Amino acid sequence: MKRSFVASTFDFLSSRLPIEKLSFKHMVTEKDVPVHRMSWGYYVGGLALFFFIIQVVTGLMLLFYYEPTVSEAHESVEYITHFVTMGALVRNLHAWSASFMIFCVITHMLTSLAMKAFAKPREITWIAGVLLLLVTFGFGFTGYLLPWNQIAVNATKVGLASIDQVGQYLPAALSHLAEDVRVTIQGAPAIGQATLSRFFALHVVILPLLVLGVIGLHLLSVQLHGMSPGIEEKPVRKEKFFPFFILKDFKEWGIAFLVVFVLALCLPFDSLFPYPLLEPYNALGSTPDGIKPEWYFYFVYYPMELLPFWIIIVVMTTANLGLFAAPWIFKGASHKFMRWIASAIAAYLIIMTLFGESIYHAIKG
Amino acid sequence: MVKFVFIVALVFIGNCFAYPEFQRFSQENSGRPINCAMCHVNGDGPEGASRGQIGSLTPVELNRLNAARGAFAPGMPVESPILNAFGNNIIRKIGKTKFLELRAHPEQLAEAYGFQSDLDEDGIPDAQEYLDGTNPLNRSHGNPWKLFVHNLNQYKLHIFLIILATVAGFYGLSNLLHGFAIQAESHEARN
Repeated sequence: MKRSFVASTFDFLSSRLPIEKLSFKHMVTEKDVPVHRMSWGYYVGGLALFFFIIQVVTGLMLLFYYEPTVSEAHESVEYITHFVTMGALVRNLHAWSASFMIFCVITHMLTSLAMKAFAKPREITWIAGVLLLLVTFGFGFTGYLLPWNQIAVNATKVGLASIDQVGQYLPAALSHLAEDVRVTIQGAPAIGQATLSRFFALHVVILPLLVLGVIGLHLLSVQLHGMSPGIEEKPVRKEKFFPFFILKDFKEWGIAFLVVFVLALCLPFDSLFPYPLLEPYNALGSTPDGIKPEWYFYFVYYPMELLPFWIIIVVMTTANLGLFAAPWIFKGASHKFMRWIASAIAAYLIIMTLFGESIYHAIKG
Repeated sequence: MVKFVFIVALVFIGNCFAYPEFQRFSQENSGRPINCAMCHVNGDGPEGASRGQIGSLTPVELNRLNAARGAFAPGMPVESPILNAFGNNIIRKIGKTKFLELRAHPEQLAEAYGFQSDLDEDGIPDAQEYLDGTNPLNRSHGNPWKLFVHNLNQYKLHIFLIILATVAGFYGLSNLLHGFAIQAESHEARN
């Protein structure tokens, strides 16, 4: 007899979130972590969490001085950088750890894919992880606009304009939908105060709240099920999560903190950009050369510049749906096959991030 | 009256344009996009009516502009309202005559200006920033590697202290967690 939808859903959820295991004993003192050649992958998620904590702390500090208005945003950022005690350090910590956080989230996704960490009963952990990846990109996109300088506004314009382009490929009755979405995000027909206010609200309130909820679900699910086996073979040994694994995690956090601190102290993030891009946005002035998004969007930005837009839409939609549905698509796949898939994605991301611009110039001339 | 002074000043000044030879050289030498803001107040150059451009100057500022344009010899006071501190310093140090001569050899400007001045105090001389295509008036902007090395030397003590604090913090945390683990084990053993 076929079981009812409600009963099936209840069974699915109760096996994925076994609340009977919700105890300190099960989740901490009795938890073991397998040790094998890919165990390093277990630490990357923790590092992403650590960089998120740095983001929250430094972001709160920046909030004391940042003014989310088009007339004062740039000035307030300059004030933070040049006049507030340790303002430059805090701002650079925020900027550097944002990049490290995105790097860790992407690496965590790839290692989890390679270790087939999405396999039953960890589907919810995986889906929450993919959501966190998308929200992290959202943080990057909304945060980029806040300094209200030339690169911030012009790169955001490029990003938002691509939403309009989607409209060309929708049926006639829905073609205005893309523009409506763009105007809703933008808050007005053109980028201005409404856009800055919305991006600011998204960056400091809506996305952090969303992240807290999803991280909670992700971590709870990880603790309830324990670490995924990671490899097909038997692990070399198992070690106690508490205190041994967690101490190794903290040790990596300490090293990561020192790296990001030294970078933030010695290498201002702004120095990586040509200075005309850091000038306050001037709608009437000329647009400086070299406008492009942050490095973590190169994997989609350069193909978008080179290929017909419909190809990008098809590939990105398929990739996103594929990520969410990975637990079901790759249900029977071997670990070796998953490692191959993850390596291919990693190779693509590395090539486009490091050489995307060169490839673009080589093709476009 | 103001308009009259403005028109007279423009006639007196003659060609009011920036000198793109230097900008072009800096950009080609460094491979970084740059704009007029390296030496001028306004990134779009001195022509126009925006802040730091000829059209926006008051009579007093026009007088200062004229004085600056007449500073042919080195060492004369220069406070042009269309130039920023670096631009003014160039004319003050080498004089307008030498500056105009260097238009044919923009690569020699750095040498003529000298490598002693560092207006933004970021550890990279202004002349080097001209060669590197970076902002000589922003201490957060410079060649990334040179900035990193300079700051690393400057903040050696800070970095040592933060390493010490991190190691000490980890040592304390490690002992605390081991203590909790021992207590949890003994608690389980008792039960």
